[in-house]
Amino acid sequence: MDDVMKDRIEQLVDFIMKWCLWQFHSRSWDRERQNEGILTKTIQLLCDEPVDLSTPSDKCYWVDAVYLANGLKKTCPWLNTMDKKDLKILMQGLKERIDYLTINGSLNQELTNPLY
Amino acid sequence: MSCELKERERPGIINPIFTCQPCGAQYASIGIKDCIAIVHGGQGCVMFVRMLLAQHFKDSFELASSSLHEDGAVFGALNRVEEAVDVLLMRYPHVKVVPIITTCSTEVIGDDIDGLIRKLNKKLLKDKYADREVHLIPIHTPSFKGSMVTGYDVAVHDIVKEFAKKDKPNGKINLITGWVNPGDVTALKHLLSAMDIDATVLFEIESFDSPLMPDKSGVAHGSTTIEDLTGTADAMGTIALNRYEGAQAAKYLESKFDVPAIIGPTPIGIRNTDTFLQNLKKMTGKPISEALVRERGIAIDAITDLTHMFFADKKVAIYGNPDLVIGLAEFCLDMEMKPMVLLLGDDNKTYPDDPRIKELKEKVDFDMEIIMNADLWELERRIKDKEIELDLIMGHSKGRWTAIDNNIPMVRVGFPTFDRAGMYRHPVVGYEGAIWLAEQMANTLFADMEYKKDREWLLNVW
Amino acid sequence: MPYHTFKCSECIPAREMHAVIKGPGEDLSSCLPLGYLNTIPGTISERGCAYCGAKHVIGSPMKDVIHMSHGPVGCTYDTWHTKRYISDNDNFQLKYTFATDMKEKHVVFGAEKMLKQNIIDSFKAFPHIKRMTIYQTCASALIGDDIAAVAKKVMEEIPDVDIFVCNAPGFGGPSQSGGHHKINIAWIDQKVGTYEPEIKSKYVINYVGDYNIQGDAEIMVDFFKRMGIQVLSTFTGNCTYDDLRGMHRAHLNVLECARSSEYICNELRKRYGIPRLDIDGFGFEPLSASLMKVAMFFGLEKEAQAIIDEETARWRPELNWYAKRLKGKKICLWPGGSKLWHWAHVIEEEMGVKVVSVYSKFGHQGDFEKGVARCSEGALAIDDPNELEGLEAMEMLQPDCVLTGVRPGEVSKKMRIPYLNIHAYDNGPYKGFEGWVRLARDIYNAIYSPIHQLSGLDISKDEIPTDKGFMTRQMISDVNIVDDGNIPAEERPYTGDWDIVTRLRGKKYPKLESQQLGTA
Repeated sequence: MDDVMKDRIEQLVDFIMKWCLWQFHSRSWDRERQNEGILTKTIQLLCDEPVDLSTPSDKCYWVDAVYLANGLKKTCPWLNTMDKKDLKILMQGLKERIDYLTINGSLNQELTNPLY
Repeated sequence: MSCELKERERPGIINPIFTCQPCGAQYASIGIKDCIAIVHGGQGCVMFVRMLLAQHFKDSFELASSSLHEDGAVFGALNRVEEAVDVLLMRYPHVKVVPIITTCSTEVIGDDIDGLIRKLNKKLLKDKYADREVHLIPIHTPSFKGSMVTGYDVAVHDIVKEFAKKDKPNGKINLITGWVNPGDVTALKHLLSAMDIDATVLFEIESFDSPLMPDKSGVAHGSTTIEDLTGTADAMGTIALNRYEGAQAAKYLESKFDVPAIIGPTPIGIRNTDTFLQNLKKMTGKPISEALVRERGIAIDAITDLTHMFFADKKVAIYGNPDLVIGLAEFCLDMEMKPMVLLLGDDNKTYPDDPRIKELKEKVDFDMEIIMNADLWELERRIKDKEIELDLIMGHSKGRWTAIDNNIPMVRVGFPTFDRAGMYRHPVVGYEGAIWLAEQMANTLFADMEYKKDREWLLNVW
Repeated sequence: MPYHTFKCSECIPAREMHAVIKGPGEDLSSCLPLGYLNTIPGTISERGCAYCGAKHVIGSPMKDVIHMSHGPVGCTYDTWHTKRYISDNDNFQLKYTFATDMKEKHVVFGAEKMLKQNIIDSFKAFPHIKRMTIYQTCASALIGDDIAAVAKKVMEEIPDVDIFVCNAPGFGGPSQSGGHHKINIAWIDQKVGTYEPEIKSKYVINYVGDYNIQGDAEIMVDFFKRMGIQVLSTFTGNCTYDDLRGMHRAHLNVLECARSSEYICNELRKRYGIPRLDIDGFGFEPLSASLMKVAMFFGLEKEAQAIIDEETARWRPELNWYAKRLKGKKICLWPGGSKLWHWAHVIEEEMGVKVVSVYSKFGHQGDFEKGVARCSEGALAIDDPNELEGLEAMEMLQPDCVLTGVRPGEVSKKMRIPYLNIHAYDNGPYKGFEGWVRLARDIYNAIYSPIHQLSGLDISKDEIPTDKGFMTRQMISDVNIVDDGNIPAEERPYTGDWDIVTRLRGKKYPKLESQQLGTA
């Protein structure tokens, strides 16, 4: 990954870390589900693709995704200049980074506790 | 028409008057300089007491916890006390006195803190703190016995017992004040000084009212030193003002070191202050000065302008620490008022033997109740069921809703008094205290008259 | 490594990993303190006990319930007159506290019979109250009284009462948090689903993790109701016992304080499929976003936008007035659990202050993930702080104001640092748009107090200025504010009322009513 991409991903991460809470549920499997659910829908919104709203969970991911997509577009205006292909690569990089920071690389020792 | 002694009949408490023993022990410990107690139990036992003290004094006091967790509850937690002592001593190099106060949990699990202290004295203190003077004092105060009042009494006794050592007569008297406020200590020391009496005051808590200093050095803590405590054995006598708070320590000094003890009375009101001065004179041979006659006269002058005009036949309810309640009741009677109900908040079995309570029972000539093991529901229920009508309530801040919801004016006295500003700075003892109490009571009644538009025009001309 | 060792804690090396300073380039994979571990004895930690977390934080705000502690008197005494969780039920839950008054003989012989008598007596004393929660304490836990069995018997004998049993004795876990957990799980295990609530709207939520301190929850519920949303229950501020039994019927759980109640949200999702939406109720931007998210879930975007526009127009000029004057002021965010992360970023953005430190008395690593994620570079984050570390931090950081509880605030007061009570609040509520301005105002009033200025003068050494008879807050705060004609005219200090909660009670909600009548 080149430095421009890395830096851009960090800008996106910074927004999520400063303004969002969906990535911080208390267990790793919930974080997997949340990250997947919200970031998938965010990518769809940014790429003007249809979003599945059939279940309550979907709707719940979607409301966070709308806020995220709008927020990212406002604070990272360079997003608007990117084409769909590059957006998807960037957002995939974002997902991996968020997964790393909140799950795989997290120092939170409670994430693997099997009970709530 | 008479005074009856009763007991709460319900097994449980609705709105307690007192908290439990460890609080009293902690209150005693903060009066000592270079002393930080370790409360052996759950963290709440210390966090809540520190909160309560902060509410009352608007200041923070240093108290530590052994932080009992589940494993300790199962396997015993003496190791946590040992660690607590070590950590405390390492981080607070000035600390010399460490009372170790037990709670219900650690008494139930049976941790032998006396044994642990013996072990620590032999090992930890000799190995690691050989160059420091450290006193570990076991104080047993489970919450399922007594109340904060007995916890205080037990702690004062245990602390005095730990330190009192006979040397040479020091020409002082010991004054064990009981559970009082800094304002009370100032008033008592003023009386002692007016009689030119040198005293060891247990405890020196005037420094609880600590300043905000430009150099940030203000700290709220007591000033009684180890020398003060050691020297209690060398006094010419002990006066313990409160029968229920400190008498045990006075009796100990008498039986162990032949230091004659006078127990009581709590010097609330003119009569009891007179008796206190008489006892001081008896014990020290010092005369009661002209200046004190004058001071007494100012108090009587002030109170005389209130009694038959405003206090006569006013019905009062009083709750709180027993010596405070009894002293206030006696003063109210002298001021022509009618204490209708006194509420003593714990199940001390010796209340019926208290000569002051006996005197109330025998001599009071109107219907009065003294309720033992009382809670505040006993008071509120009587008001709600219209069993009594009251003109005034005197007690601590945790009874405020009873007064507010039933529109009865209330004077805050005792502990805690967090819903009024600065109460701890004023005395309820001595002639000064008599003036303060009478004027507080009067002004509270006056403000109430105005709010209720109850003959508020009376005060147009007074 | 970002770990920070306090000088006063060098002798207890276990503390080393409990504090971090967020450095440049640090992220959560490298910068996170340990959390929620056993307390080191004797440190004079800020922590309390699990009974407090269960009864005092979560249990007692329930407004139509007798809160009975099974144990000696102290526990119940301590959790009475120590918090401001108000209710519109004449504050029954604030005024009355109950204890079974365990004595030595009960420790020896057990207290179940006496407990039963207590339950019956208490219901008799308050015939209009039909619900009770019994809290286990250290003492009753250790003697092994079967509280649930006693409660069951009473419910059989008196069919119109219901009793909830919460077993969270003080020693259970490192701090208050153990109690939150136990009461969350116990409530959903015992009571959720045992009552069918009346559904009055197409849009139904539970508002979770708000204890109505000074009316916080009433402010938030007002916003939801204005949109036509039925707030089935609030967990637990200003809420009834039975409403909380009906939590299973909500479409969405709106979660404010994740620290104390994410457990029940997780279980509700697992058992009933109700999604969990984490929100921030503090700050204009986060609150607007949160209201919009909830609205969007139900298709009520227009309603939410109307509220956001109205509130922002009314209160933004006042927030800006304070933000201008608080710019650059250093604060320590030192709460118990979750306000460190609710406020860490937005308070800088919207009030201009600089957060130099965050701490959590009883939080978990999750709270620090959120806090460290949101706080700025250079901030000091402390887990399970103790008194000496707090003093050292204040000396090191020289904040202008500390936002914390009453007792640690008194410590900072002595350090000539004014404090704001953010547990029970000074003049709250602080939720909502107006509430956020009230917080800004209180911080402003604390920092710019003329008496605070005077406290630094040593009259024995310093030159005593005699040129003034008084100072006002604005004289002190506006020293660097230049009126260059660009200051918007509508910027002004707070113009709201003292009491902003009472008028919400008995308010009419046409959108919600039309839902009820099916005419929406």
